[in-house]
Amino acid sequence: MANMSLLLEAHGLVKHLGGRRVVDGVDLVCHAGQVLGLLGPNGAGKTTTLRMLYGFLTADAGTICFEGHDVSRDVGRFKRQLGVCTQDDTFDGDFTVRQNLEIVASYFRPRPSDVRRRADELLERFALATYAADKPEGLSGGFRRRLMIARALMHRPRLLFLDEPTTGLDPHARVAVWDLVNGLRAEGLGIVLTTHYMDEAERLSDALTVLAQGKVVAHGTPKSVMGDMLGEHVVVLAADTPAIAAWLGARGLGEPLAVLGAWHLPLSGEQLADFARAFPALRYEVRPPNLDDLFLKLALAPCAA
Amino acid sequence: MRGLTAAFEWQSRAVVGRHLRVYLKNWHTSFLPPALEPITLLLAFGLGLGAYMASGLEWNGRRVDYINFVAPGMLAYATFMTAVFQSLFGAFIRMRYQRTWEGQLTTQIELRHVVWGEVLWAALLTTVYVAIVAGVLSVCQALGVLQLELTLLPVVIPIVFPSACAFAALGLCFTALVPTIDHMNLPIFLVILPMGFVSATYFPLGHPLLAAISSVNPLYHLAEGVRGLLLGDGIGWHLASLFVLVAIMLGGLVPLDMHLLRKRVLGD
Repeated sequence: MANMSLLLEAHGLVKHLGGRRVVDGVDLVCHAGQVLGLLGPNGAGKTTTLRMLYGFLTADAGTICFEGHDVSRDVGRFKRQLGVCTQDDTFDGDFTVRQNLEIVASYFRPRPSDVRRRADELLERFALATYAADKPEGLSGGFRRRLMIARALMHRPRLLFLDEPTTGLDPHARVAVWDLVNGLRAEGLGIVLTTHYMDEAERLSDALTVLAQGKVVAHGTPKSVMGDMLGEHVVVLAADTPAIAAWLGARGLGEPLAVLGAWHLPLSGEQLADFARAFPALRYEVRPPNLDDLFLKLALAPCAA
Repeated sequence: MRGLTAAFEWQSRAVVGRHLRVYLKNWHTSFLPPALEPITLLLAFGLGLGAYMASGLEWNGRRVDYINFVAPGMLAYATFMTAVFQSLFGAFIRMRYQRTWEGQLTTQIELRHVVWGEVLWAALLTTVYVAIVAGVLSVCQALGVLQLELTLLPVVIPIVFPSACAFAALGLCFTALVPTIDHMNLPIFLVILPMGFVSATYFPLGHPLLAAISSVNPLYHLAEGVRGLLLGDGIGWHLASLFVLVAIMLGGLVPLDMHLLRKRVLGD
């Protein structure tokens, strides 16, 4: 991380929407060549945070700096450095795939150089060349996403925002998008990513910022975030053991996470040893924690996070 | 103030450029309505209805043929309807269904540019349409159907553009307010069509109440101003009134559009 320059830094972002404090003092950073995963359950404030970061919404309080400069002083210049791939398809249905790339270039100053060649390059890279003369509506979900990402890259941004880039895609198309994201990171692009897919966040993110109820509840590498928030182990057992709830309650560990008739108990090494001593005859499975556990913990018991 | 000066920024031109590019792709179908509409209207109103008014009608203290009365009104009505409908339906479709605005707002284009881009585009398209209508009227004049002062016809174009900007700003206001495209009927029947009726475009306003209402209707001043030009009365006070109303509308409605659309599009 030491050789990665700091691109984006946000401090104390606050946003009220419809009278509700949707984002409440969010801090985050993203470096060049880094994928920052923004995680959290529905309503955690991910998309609102992202929208403030890419200038779609104005923050009620807080600062956003790009390479140390407050972006509010020159939003236009800041936005020249950004590429944005929104959650929904917002390509221009009046144009072909190639024209979509060309028209988006006209929305930036200084204009991207050699627009035609840049469009060719992106069509090739995103395997869209075959569909260059087609309207985007005719593309499959995976290729639509590719077009959306290609559009976001047309003006050679340095920071890319991907809002749930693989939602609704089949596994093959998801992997293809992951490969593209990995390639972009390798080229030194900073990427801020929101996703609901925990495997995606785990595989792609160098750092995670976890939001719950508009606040940052954890930040760090995926492993450290899971360790901080969940512990080292997850015990999985049948959800019909009343003594377990009492045992958890006595230690202030809160309610167990209930998933399809099973309880998932995140525990530290010491707590696991206690648990084994307390229930020697119980049948259960112990596995390492993953981001699904974290997500469930936040979604099912956000106040406890 | 920043909202008003955005009209001159490159981002607003980029939005207009996008719409122009789409229009040029479909120019052959886009060209037909403005060319056919005046022909239909001249046949229906001018020759059809005009046949029942063989002695013409009184306008500004003199008798004029109904077809000569209605032809300048058509230019005004085309200005009004094209601008309003483009900013109502065209803009609503781009905002709601095509999500063109959302795509533009993720770039260096900001909402104020999207608003001005829509207003300027509606005005540009209207000016092109009115130029086509003016061309059709010129042909009718050459065929002896009309007797207008066509030397002043080019003066109409610079009058049309700012007027269309004001009408488009009015249309955008409803675009920001109506929840669905089906609700467009409300502003059309409650505001747009009444404005069209109380405007002396197709018939003179004799009733004192209608005359009083029309004095604050920019379409009325546009119709009477253009009529004055094309029937040989020169540039009259109607054009001065029109420009005052246009300035008030642009100064008031464009910031209102931005405020309403900020809420609607950005949820802010």
